[in-house]
Amino acid sequence: MSAPVPAAAAAPAKVPGRSLARVFWRSLFLQASWNRRGMQNLGFAYAIDPALRALYADPARREEALRRHLGFFNSHPYMAAAIVGGAIHHEERVASGAEPERGPLAYKQTLQGPLAAIGDGFFWTALRPFFGALAALGALLFGAPAIVVVLLSYNAIHFLFRAGLFLAGYRRGDQLVVTIARLSLPVAADRLRAVGAGLCGASAAIFLLHAGAVSGSGAAVLAALAAGVGYVALARGARLLPTAYVATLMGIGAALLLGHLHRSS
Amino acid sequence: MGYLVLGLLAGLAAVERKGFLQAMLSRPIALAPLAGWALGDTAGGLLLAPPLELFWLGAVNLGAALPVHEALGTAAITGGAVLAGRALGVAVSPEIAILAVLVAAPIALLGRKADRLVEGWNEQIALHAEAALAGHHLREAVRCNLYGLAAPFAIAAVLAPLAAAAAAAVIPPLLRAAPGAAAPLRVGFFAFAGFACASGAKALRARAAPRWFFAALAGFAVAGLALWRLR
Repeated sequence: MSAPVPAAAAAPAKVPGRSLARVFWRSLFLQASWNRRGMQNLGFAYAIDPALRALYADPARREEALRRHLGFFNSHPYMAAAIVGGAIHHEERVASGAEPERGPLAYKQTLQGPLAAIGDGFFWTALRPFFGALAALGALLFGAPAIVVVLLSYNAIHFLFRAGLFLAGYRRGDQLVVTIARLSLPVAADRLRAVGAGLCGASAAIFLLHAGAVSGSGAAVLAALAAGVGYVALARGARLLPTAYVATLMGIGAALLLGHLHRSS
Repeated sequence: MGYLVLGLLAGLAAVERKGFLQAMLSRPIALAPLAGWALGDTAGGLLLAPPLELFWLGAVNLGAALPVHEALGTAAITGGAVLAGRALGVAVSPEIAILAVLVAAPIALLGRKADRLVEGWNEQIALHAEAALAGHHLREAVRCNLYGLAAPFAIAAVLAPLAAAAAAAVIPPLLRAAPGAAAPLRVGFFAFAGFACASGAKALRARAAPRWFFAALAGFAVAGLALWRLR
């Protein structure tokens, strides 16, 4: 399918800033039609389309470019911003005749897996749960304003990353890997996970203090047991929802039994 | 009207959760207070938000694996609790909240099954896009992506009010028939909340997680007790 590299163009093709902004906005819809066949392929083609329009005036070349980006693609939705930016970098080179048509595809295929692993490890299993636990603790201590502050903080970081990665990919192309490696995301993820677990422990302590204040010391002990035994059960592979039912119903049953014993004494 | 608002909110949350943005707005910590506010009981939503967030902290979309639909579950539980409270003429209390959890939480599993169906429908959209491109309809091939937002919205907009209606139908007669059950149910709420914290810590998958979790639990509990005694 790939056409021969055209003779060097007079001036390098450039995507205007307005089109870049549109691509970034559209990249937020990357997973709108996630499917098992091409995964994020429709989202990628939808995102990069404004850049392809700017680069290829010839409908046949634009169609060919769009076909390139309708192939299989799957990465982490935040990290994918970097690949979208980098793909535009390569498409500019293709449009200028400085690179063969397989360049953007090779770039995407090389980076999608590693960036998915980094994104899943940092954003999905560390940063977002950390902020979730922080917001939960904040809500228990300070109410709704804490949730607003935590969500604003998370999204400040999230958008800074997403926009920064998009621009880094666009400006640096293949050098993007060096930029991401410098961030040391796996190290930060480990710390966030550990502190996040601590936040969950602090929330558990607040719940058991609430339980003690509202329903007496017996309730506090039961809440503490649910937290402690629940953790051990989950660590041993117990399923989440059935175990939650068991913990809750045992709490209710124990409270009924304690109430009965209290009345009969 | 309450069910319409709940359906709209659940549908938008389902879209934000995967198809667009993913800015934590569909997480229980944001969605429960929003749903509570939209239905007229923000405090009820705030009561449910922390335990539900921690309970479903590990519900993340890793690769092709599908997590339970925590946004659908949250909308259904919060909606059910607020509407049950409204039927009883009270605000959401721990006993209403835990009954709503027990009745409506399984909808999150049904939501995961629905997500699998959506992926199948999206495959049809992908085929349609390829056909459009083959027919030189470039605009249509690109625009197809947005069609995928409709199914998650519609499914959540229907299922969340249904599950909430089930909870709102079951909870008031139960509490009226057994007023003595309120106290044990309240304890059940705190047992669920404690377990939810354990679920959150486990979801963080850190080698040091057990140490941090139990140390913080003990430390904060002792500090809280000391503060309470001082007062």
